[in-house]
Amino acid sequence: MKRIRIAAAAAVVLSWVAGPLCAEVTYERLLNAEQDPGNWLTYSGNYRSWRHSPLSQITRDNASRLKVKWVYQMQTTHMVETTPLVADGVMYFTEPPSNVVAVDATTGRQFWRYRRVMPKKVNVCCGQVNRGVAILGDRVFVGTVDAHLVALDARTGAVLWDVAVADYRTGHSITVAPLIVKDMVICGISGGEYGIRGFLDAYDIATGKRRWRFWTIPAPGEPGSQSWPGDSWKTGGGPTWVTGSFDPEQNLIIWGTGNPSPDWNGDSRKGDNLYSDSAIALDADSGRLKWYFQHVPHDVHDWDSVQVPVLVDDEFQGRRRKLIYWAHRNAFYYVLDRETGQFLLGKPFATQTWAKGLDEKGRPIRLPNIDPSPEGTYVWPGVQGATNWYSPSYSPLTKLLYLAVWENRSVYRKGEQEYSPGNRYIGSVPLIDLPDDPGHGAIRALNPKTGDRLWEYKLQTKPWAGVLSTAGQLVFGGSDEGHFFALDATSGREVWRQNLGGIIRTNPISYQSQGKQVIAIAAGNSIFTFELAD
Amino acid sequence: MVNRRLFQVFLAVGFAAVSSVSLTAAVAATRADEITEARNPLTSAADVAAGAKTFRSHCASCHGLNGEGGRGPNLASGVFFHGSSDPDLLKNISDGIPGTEMPGLFYSPDRVWQVVAFIRSLNAGKKTIQASDVARGALLFNNKSCRQCHRVNGEGGRLGPDLSDIGRIRSVEHLRAALIDPNADVRQRYWVVSFRDAYGKSQEGFLMNEDSYTIQFIDMNERLHSASKSGLRDYTVEKTSKMPSFKDSLSSSELEQLVAYLSSLRPKGGAQ
Repeated sequence: MKRIRIAAAAAVVLSWVAGPLCAEVTYERLLNAEQDPGNWLTYSGNYRSWRHSPLSQITRDNASRLKVKWVYQMQTTHMVETTPLVADGVMYFTEPPSNVVAVDATTGRQFWRYRRVMPKKVNVCCGQVNRGVAILGDRVFVGTVDAHLVALDARTGAVLWDVAVADYRTGHSITVAPLIVKDMVICGISGGEYGIRGFLDAYDIATGKRRWRFWTIPAPGEPGSQSWPGDSWKTGGGPTWVTGSFDPEQNLIIWGTGNPSPDWNGDSRKGDNLYSDSAIALDADSGRLKWYFQHVPHDVHDWDSVQVPVLVDDEFQGRRRKLIYWAHRNAFYYVLDRETGQFLLGKPFATQTWAKGLDEKGRPIRLPNIDPSPEGTYVWPGVQGATNWYSPSYSPLTKLLYLAVWENRSVYRKGEQEYSPGNRYIGSVPLIDLPDDPGHGAIRALNPKTGDRLWEYKLQTKPWAGVLSTAGQLVFGGSDEGHFFALDATSGREVWRQNLGGIIRTNPISYQSQGKQVIAIAAGNSIFTFELAD
Repeated sequence: MVNRRLFQVFLAVGFAAVSSVSLTAAVAATRADEITEARNPLTSAADVAAGAKTFRSHCASCHGLNGEGGRGPNLASGVFFHGSSDPDLLKNISDGIPGTEMPGLFYSPDRVWQVVAFIRSLNAGKKTIQASDVARGALLFNNKSCRQCHRVNGEGGRLGPDLSDIGRIRSVEHLRAALIDPNADVRQRYWVVSFRDAYGKSQEGFLMNEDSYTIQFIDMNERLHSASKSGLRDYTVEKTSKMPSFKDSLSSSELEQLVAYLSSLRPKGGAQ
């Protein structure tokens, strides 16, 4: 009997060893990612950015049996915001500032590690972070905080090309996970606190040559330029630091843009400041603007539109439409028409004290006395918003939108600040944490067609982690406290929880390994994976 | 784009900028590490005003609007951990301080000299702390039972903040205000938690940590506790201070003596 067991074990090991692991991720596979649930091929899981796994092995009834599969500890002291990708048995993730690691998705053992040598000083507003890689063919793509885009050999980590996207010495950096569209790498830019002029770029997969650039801040004479007085457009911000979505049918890249610069003092940039704080829809081949919707005209609270756009086709108000679901940092939930950018619905999903509501075109009806002031102005939501860059999730099974929410306020202070290249350009500093009023967080489920809240899982602290829904009727989320948890997708009831001992500041994914569903999340400076105990 | 802890880092890293070689040739020729002046050449009132403006934009988020300290050390005392000479300050502001959260500020040396001038102005005209006041303040500290709750150099209670280096991290003004109105600024760590457990037994203590499911605190007998919230019958968190106000129980001269003593408390082996 003992001999038979050993033989069986050996067979398992042999089959594991024998299977070659090599990624060949075609564009067709990306287009059909939902039919390939064993892998996690793009930042949000599919082009529609649902962050939903069709895997159903882990359920509400058995999630209590989740156990650690493996842990990978990174060699970094920077904050980890990476969302891993998994392709054909290999997991790829970034290690901040801008390193890339490939490991065996079954064991966590490292294949290779690309180490980016950084200049002595790099200017990033909120930590030298990175949110992940993109993959196509046998290539892995990473943006770096010194504002380069790098193509790596997926099998060895060798550099295939390395192009400067912008000058890091003027406050440009890249923290976004790129998105593959056809044979292009779509890459955004950070630097909204340094007076950059924002853009979204497309690069040729093979050569690294730039195909197009869309400036998020128009130059004089271009449409939208009238919303920028004088030379303010040159330092107008509008970064693109969170991965957007792609609509293949319309050939549209839909991406969110960040705050206008300087953040909290709009005196030098009177006007709507297009296309900051907007959803922009670009023709994928030319980068030309098809439509835009600006959530916050003339923003003075730093409420970027950098949430991941969730694309859904469904009935809405009596007819079938191509929709975008968008819970915004400004505490309003929006539904937009994806073909035109038309505003269809808007409703607060968290406490806000800055707007009476939205008008028929979705433009906020501002309340008086909500702008930053030298003495400070208290406004809900706080400067980090009611939600932020961490991903929401849409489940096609429950047809609910899930998201991490902050209930908090800030005191917004206005000040003078002139532009100087590479230095902060924010127009004073708001007090972020109010010591006697830290606020709290929650995971909420919304009916995306109405914006109504279905349930809430309350958290003591404000979460920086996105959520993942699965076909097992679960929603996975994490907290600043280091807890990783699974909730019943229909009720919000907690069904499993594990303390990972470090802040969770990224998004969960799911993949399959050796026939078992795996859940992966970064916490602290480590990647944790979980599967059901036998 | 700004993200609570992320933004906290933003507040600090916001100082950081690009390599100095990136700027103009003129700037490159006068990098901070090439400055050899022994003293700040820019100390006029206009320089101080200009430095104040830069300080407010880039430094105040950590060091306080008036350099009184906060997340970063008090800069108003005229004493600095990493060098108190003018060139030391120029270098530390320009390059940051390795191993700390202090990043570099990338302006021309002239602009940084103005910040130095402003920081120096924070301590200008301030009274030198008299040794006799410190000694009297130390007596008051003991006689007013401060030591029951506060620890200094290993002696005293553990319920209030350890004050062994309070003179480094808090300005005179902050210390005076805290003695007069303790409720003006009560940090979360010193909020008071009260609860009844499942058996109805009451407990009270100072909050040390709390998450969505548990609470950690030190009770009034300095014993550590960790409790599951789901096992509690009820609990409340009071955000007011347990420390009494000394507004009416100290004369103005006694108040200054106690402040002098507290301000004199620095780490052993400590600051330059």
